[in-house]
Amino acid sequence: MSMNYSGDSLLGMFLFETTQLLEQLEESILNTEHTSSFTQEDINEIFRIMHTIKGSAAMMQYHNVSKLAHALEDLFDYLRSEENVEIDYSALTDLVFANVDFINEQIGKIEEGATEDDDATELINANRDFLAKIKNEDKGQSSSGEANASGNGKAGDGLQAEKNANFKYSYKATIYFSEGCEMENIRAFGIINNLEEVAGDIKHIPEDLMASEAAEEIKSSGFRFVFNSNCTYVDIHQLLMQTIFLKELELEQVDTSGEAKSDSKTLEANQSQASNVEKNQEATMASDVKKGQEDTTRQKQAQRQRPNLTHQSIISVPVEKLDKLMDLMGEFVISEAMVTQNPDLVGLELPNFEKSALQLKKITKELQEVVMSIRMVPLSATFNKMKRIVRDMGKKLDKEVTLTILGEETEVDKNIIEHISDPLMHLVRNALDHGLETKEDRIKAGKPAVGNIKLEAKNVGSDVLIIVQDDGKGINKDSIIRKAKEKGLLKRPVESMSDKDIFNLILLPGFSTNENVTEYSGRGVGMDVVTKGIEAIGGSVSIDSIEHVGTAFTMKIPLTLAIVDGMNVSVGESIYTIPTMNIKEFFKPVLEDIIIDPDKNEMVIVRGECYPILRLHNAFKVDTDVTDFEDGIFIIVKHDQHTICLFVDRLIGQQQIVVKALPEYILRSKRVKGLAGCTLLGDGSISLIIDVSGLNDLL
Amino acid sequence: MNNIVQDDFYLEEDTQKDKYLIFNLGNEFYGIEIKNVIEIIGMQPITPVPELPEYINGIINLRGKIIPVMDVRTRFKMPKIEYDDRTCIIVVDVDDISIGLIVDIVAEVITIEEENIVLPPENTRKYNRYIKGIGKLNNEVRLLLDCHKLLTEDELESLESVEEALE
Amino acid sequence: MKNVLIVDDAAFMRMSIKMTLQKHGFNVVGEADNGKVAVEKYLELRPDLVTMDITMPEMTGIEALKEIVKNDPQANVIMVSAMGQEMLVKEAIISGAKSFVVKPFTEDTLIKVLDKFK
Repeated sequence: MSMNYSGDSLLGMFLFETTQLLEQLEESILNTEHTSSFTQEDINEIFRIMHTIKGSAAMMQYHNVSKLAHALEDLFDYLRSEENVEIDYSALTDLVFANVDFINEQIGKIEEGATEDDDATELINANRDFLAKIKNEDKGQSSSGEANASGNGKAGDGLQAEKNANFKYSYKATIYFSEGCEMENIRAFGIINNLEEVAGDIKHIPEDLMASEAAEEIKSSGFRFVFNSNCTYVDIHQLLMQTIFLKELELEQVDTSGEAKSDSKTLEANQSQASNVEKNQEATMASDVKKGQEDTTRQKQAQRQRPNLTHQSIISVPVEKLDKLMDLMGEFVISEAMVTQNPDLVGLELPNFEKSALQLKKITKELQEVVMSIRMVPLSATFNKMKRIVRDMGKKLDKEVTLTILGEETEVDKNIIEHISDPLMHLVRNALDHGLETKEDRIKAGKPAVGNIKLEAKNVGSDVLIIVQDDGKGINKDSIIRKAKEKGLLKRPVESMSDKDIFNLILLPGFSTNENVTEYSGRGVGMDVVTKGIEAIGGSVSIDSIEHVGTAFTMKIPLTLAIVDGMNVSVGESIYTIPTMNIKEFFKPVLEDIIIDPDKNEMVIVRGECYPILRLHNAFKVDTDVTDFEDGIFIIVKHDQHTICLFVDRLIGQQQIVVKALPEYILRSKRVKGLAGCTLLGDGSISLIIDVSGLNDLL
Repeated sequence: MNNIVQDDFYLEEDTQKDKYLIFNLGNEFYGIEIKNVIEIIGMQPITPVPELPEYINGIINLRGKIIPVMDVRTRFKMPKIEYDDRTCIIVVDVDDISIGLIVDIVAEVITIEEENIVLPPENTRKYNRYIKGIGKLNNEVRLLLDCHKLLTEDELESLESVEEALE
Repeated sequence: MKNVLIVDDAAFMRMSIKMTLQKHGFNVVGEADNGKVAVEKYLELRPDLVTMDITMPEMTGIEALKEIVKNDPQANVIMVSAMGQEMLVKEAIISGAKSFVVKPFTEDTLIKVLDKFK
């Protein structure tokens, strides 16, 4: 590494900032798609972002990323200085996206521990080719800053002429810079710039310091210059010795006899230098003019909020700290319960204690709400990613699509966001690929040629609904039933199935087949990955569809993962917690409603529906005296399509619980079925949390 | 600054070197390297978890941290005994995994120099796969446990039982 | 101990400069993420040294440099530039920048420059 960085904090910062910049870049490009053109501020922004990435990546020794960013920076640098360039908007956005994708990919790899980035030559060349192409088309268009530039050049001359009076001494010097100091030509310019205050008739080799090969020449042969001055050798020596990155200084006083000769040369040199300055300053001035424009556009830009980057009142905190805070909050909730519901208090009359306990309870609740709210992140970033997918896929599939986004400000827990990104992407791809018809078919069906995909999020109680809806061809029930039959997935008579039941067949593992696997939605996996992903965070998926009108997938996800409402039940000496959201009802068993089939499977009839009974003491092999149904209690739990009747000893009560994972050693030694984790109860004992979705396997 | 931290680290390593926590299972004395030991606690209420190997009793709440506990007797296929007030749980940390080991009695912490440790004899079948060395102390021996194997040695176990059956 | 103000729109860059400076006994008194803030902070903190990025939103490093030098002709401003910015660096030197480093720079390079002002 170029610097001796200690720790990963710098790398973390690099990854964080680069990701943020790329997101910002992607969003501003997507915003330009309405007008199909870049404004000056867009161009400036892309330029700046690439400039920053170039620098940071180079510091972190990710040279390929740095070079790539540099190439794109060059391209946008040209665009921002040449106003009237004709560009192929679509091709340019594709190119920028390709760059963004590449860098993102590298960031991902680096996050996973890669130490080097991949070669980017191909893309770099693509960037350069694009630049070369627009440069060619643009040939001959001169910059508007020309007049200003020449004016400025003359001002520089004036300063030199003034000092060009009688000098006592002449000097000849050669300076070598230390290796790796970079931009030797500009450092040389700095020397001359300083020298001008005390010297005149300065003449140097290389003559043109701004020429492309000047830096190289100084590197190899040193920076050689002669000048006249009234300062003594000691003074001049002292002055030059202050040069930063000075490796070697050769300074000699030359006798005045050679002065006449060098005088005429100096004049020549001055002239040629002046013209060079003029030429070179064109560019600088042109960018000055640009800057003037930028100033006005920037005010607008400032209004476009980028809170993370500019607002000092917002700080970024590592997620681990938030996780830790959440953990502690959990402990706190438990401790509060331990104190206020302490068994020692039973039967005591403690009005003052009660009062304080009530206050503690109130504050705990508020504190919990605040802690939760810190972790809440709006869905907008996740939704915005979909814009890109819709755009890219629409292009490839030749389907015109508008993406409508609603409720993107809806907030969910940070951990949950991470889990919904993939399922959401899958659903959006599916909608584009299978949901929407081709242009021709749409027109034939009397629909607008441009399809519509709606992405909507909304709060419903303690859940968030995320809906992906298309106005495509809808789902044909018959073909689903046919396919489910072929795959042997049809477990019930079709007549008894509701429309929803039929649609839900799509979500079963093994339903999607290779025949509808395409580059996008297929990827060799079926829709069941969506279900699995969402169920992993305690959510569910449902489908609504009307043939020829459209399809809507609804993902129902909990607002937050870690703290849930649970019902504690006991079996023997063990206590289990069932998430309240899974509980449909509980009741005392009535023997007449219980059926035992010839295979000894036990079932219960509830209002005409028949559910399998799972004795928890059998499933978890717990000793208990309660084995007769009339001694215990039934709890009907539901997860998705599965409804099961759990038999437990007794109900203990409802409480908010903090979900903790089972120890890794346990998870490793055996796949524990039917358990989602564990939680601590008020008395410090542990209760196992039941994973209702896994109970089916225990039947 | 890094150097200072590292020095401290080595220093700590050094004071732990050659030190073993000795506990009893029946009449046998066992030792585990002190660097693996986090703390020693008395018997705790244990929450059983279904479908675990017999030697894992379940999980306990160690000040908010949930850790599994293993009955070392059962692990060594020794007969079970009733837990009493001398029963201890030694909380160890092996490769970032915390686990409690239930043992009969915790005896002492002793130093056994490396030169006083010999490898276990090759052909003793009896639980030797968890023993990485035999420490000699005066005229007595201490069986030094390999904590890592204690936690991971499952596949081998089943393999050997097959071999035994074949013999 | 010299007081330094770090100006860069990239938090990463600020962090890496800060880490290096602190390691070498400089006192980082402030940070700014654009030229405008840089000028304000300079006037408020009067640091001995400024490291100044060139490409920034709101106000570029060059503009900020000019503002600072206008207020304090003795200001020690070190430009932090990137390859390809020769023209801008030259402009900065004309405008009163004391020196510059080029990204990516090594710890040594940065310190070599700043040590001159110690």
